[in-house]
Amino acid sequence: MEHVNPLTGFRVDGRRPNEMRQLRGEVGVVSRADGSALFEMGNTRVIAAVYGPREIQNRSQQVNLKEALVRCEYRMAEFSTGDRRRKPKGDRRSTEISLVIRQTMEASILTHLMPHSQIDIFVQVLQADGGTRSACINAATLALADAGIPMKDIVTSCSAGYLCSTPLLDLNYIEDSAGGPDVTVGILAKMDKVTLLQMDAKLPMDTFETVMELATEGCKAIATYIREVLLENTKQLECQRG
Amino acid sequence: MVGLSEGEKHFIRGGIAQDLRADGRTRLQFRAVTVETGIIPQANGSARVRMGATEVIASVKAELGKPTILHPGKGKVSIYVDCSPTAAPMFEGRGSEELSAELSVALQRCLLGGKSGAGAAIDLSSLIVIEGKACWDLYIDGLVVSSDGNLLDALAAAIKVALSDTGIPKVNVSLNAETDGEPEFDISDEDFLQFDTSSVPVIVTLTKVGKHYIVDATSEEESQMSSAVSVSVNRLGQICGMTKRGGAGLDPSVIFDMISVAKHVSQRFISLLDSEIAAAEAADAE
Repeated sequence: MEHVNPLTGFRVDGRRPNEMRQLRGEVGVVSRADGSALFEMGNTRVIAAVYGPREIQNRSQQVNLKEALVRCEYRMAEFSTGDRRRKPKGDRRSTEISLVIRQTMEASILTHLMPHSQIDIFVQVLQADGGTRSACINAATLALADAGIPMKDIVTSCSAGYLCSTPLLDLNYIEDSAGGPDVTVGILAKMDKVTLLQMDAKLPMDTFETVMELATEGCKAIATYIREVLLENTKQLECQRG
Repeated sequence: MVGLSEGEKHFIRGGIAQDLRADGRTRLQFRAVTVETGIIPQANGSARVRMGATEVIASVKAELGKPTILHPGKGKVSIYVDCSPTAAPMFEGRGSEELSAELSVALQRCLLGGKSGAGAAIDLSSLIVIEGKACWDLYIDGLVVSSDGNLLDALAAAIKVALSDTGIPKVNVSLNAETDGEPEFDISDEDFLQFDTSSVPVIVTLTKVGKHYIVDATSEEESQMSSAVSVSVNRLGQICGMTKRGGAGLDPSVIFDMISVAKHVSQRFISLLDSEIAAAEAADAE
């Protein structure tokens, strides 16, 4: 299957190789949570909710007394994928993604400011169309900011791949399952540091560099968008205060 | 769970006794309901229902399957509810299983009728494609995104709206010799059959706090309940199912009283939902 049209250079969903899907972020979608956000990347749609910082519920999980405990759970809705199949809760893929999100977010949260407390991040996938990992991280960043949790920087994530000898930004499900390499990058936007890097399949060294650069550019674009959303939200809050 | 001080508990109970609840409602008044349809593109029908801070999503998916040997003339419907941990941290991991199962069973009881499918709100024989060979399997999934009490009523309402939004593709069956008489299905992308959802009931839960009972309880009010009765009522005012929760016993005469109140309230709720569905469909069409 042609993933990039050799004549026009357009992809299966009509995007250019370095074009991202439509982004949409909304803050405060779960009213009972301390912080929450909805994030959409094209047809991929996730909700993140943050509870905390609050007292540690399970003392045995506490490792370091001087830092906050960050926990994360990733869950996919039954109807999120095209074909409906029952997956047991806590399957390996979910556990792995939970871990990845936790570690990525931990890198930016100033945990030493909140000793003896825990922060729970819950992400729920409503629609999956490739790049759920990235969308979850972006949603978690928005939700953490909404909860007012101190962070070093905004963490954003984006994926890029390499198909038909073209580097492609922000793969959708069809491109993701084409079997090419898929590089997921997470960065601290302002500090320009990589907190997450994952790749499957093989890729020559020099191509990897261009693909990773593309993904990093994507992350930066998302960071700009997230900042806009947060700024807009803060302005609205200010208006409400009068 | 909900942490309330003695004063707050007293305030909630006192307010209910005087017919003026903490959010200004009377005992038999619902919170504002908002409805959206068609929110899950890959489902055959979907809806989001918000009642105050409670938010639920329901999706209906149809797949071609085989009818059971016992009921060759009937399709299959299954209902499954999941409580997302975004709604409350206690739903993390396996924490939501008990509540999810309780809600799923209550909804099955109210919407699907007996084992044979008799008395079901959805006409199961309308799901048949070829008797004994092929039928539509409906998978109804509920997801609790945000929880502030009265989940069962919200889920039932969401399922009712999602079913009215559902289009089942028309199927053309061709029997040819090449495939040994096995029917071949041609699923249409354009023509859809709509359901008759007029007989799908709504659920009204009456929560008993002190001597009085209230509808559409928030989670603070639910924490003060002694018992609750969920009654599912259809448009004709017929009772389709009932569940009692909570530990305290109820006098039979109180139950009859509650049923008649639920019947009365449900008619108001159904017309409220109908107007919301019409508004959502109009917004969708634009």
